[in-house]
Amino acid sequence: MLKIIKVTGNSLSPFFLPGDFVLVNTFYRQFKNLKKNDSVVFEHPEYGQLIKFIDKNYPDSEILKVTGSHKDSISSHKLGLIPYSALIGRVIFHIRQPRSV
Amino acid sequence: MFHKLIQTFDLLRPFPTAKAHCDVPCGIYDPITAQINALTVVRMMDLISGLSEGDEKNKTDFHNSITRYISVKEDHAEKAKHEIRVIWGDFIKDAHVEKYPELPGLVHKIMQLGSKCRQTASRENGLAFVEAINQFAEIFWAIKDKKIKKAKAPYAPGLEMVYPDL
Repeated sequence: MLKIIKVTGNSLSPFFLPGDFVLVNTFYRQFKNLKKNDSVVFEHPEYGQLIKFIDKNYPDSEILKVTGSHKDSISSHKLGLIPYSALIGRVIFHIRQPRSV
Repeated sequence: MFHKLIQTFDLLRPFPTAKAHCDVPCGIYDPITAQINALTVVRMMDLISGLSEGDEKNKTDFHNSITRYISVKEDHAEKAKHEIRVIWGDFIKDAHVEKYPELPGLVHKIMQLGSKCRQTASRENGLAFVEAINQFAEIFWAIKDKKIKKAKAPYAPGLEMVYPDL
């Protein structure tokens, strides 16, 4: 199944900016094939629905280590590892707003 | 153009949002929080066991106390797992795993034991949980190049714990 989700916040700048949209594939079986630098949307118990890059995938344990690209991105210390069960899906298409030059 | 179209749809019927949330990393890590949480799990198991052997099982206070002990056991087992996941996810790097190849298996074991401690009131599981987290603490302090000492916790259930020898 596909979903369109709007990005808010700056932690993935300059790749994703607030106001960009992403198309997300929610098909569960693909999660084992996720790799470093893929972007994913997931539900965090404390911070709500987040979008982050994958730092590492542990398919045997079905968990992900995620990261931002901005220096002040929320630390994975606070996020902890993300279980597959919390994943909304993988970003498969990025709809960028026009960037100012 | 495509973005403009999606944006128009968003104005009419907003899409769900995902935050690319920012924060400041604090860089403070210590397995002691997990160790104390695991110790609390064993303490709750002891209290559950003690109460279950008493003669007050039909009294309201018994049910109240046993419910509270179980609730605290659940909560602290999950907190211990969370603390270990945080250190594993943020502090531990590939080089550490290369040096201590037992780490991934140990973390997985801690996760499983934490779940067993929630599912059961078996002291054996609680002791194994404390022991596995102590092993994790030993590796953590070795990575930090700190010597460790082993000493009994100065409170019930008084199990042997791994502390940094500062």
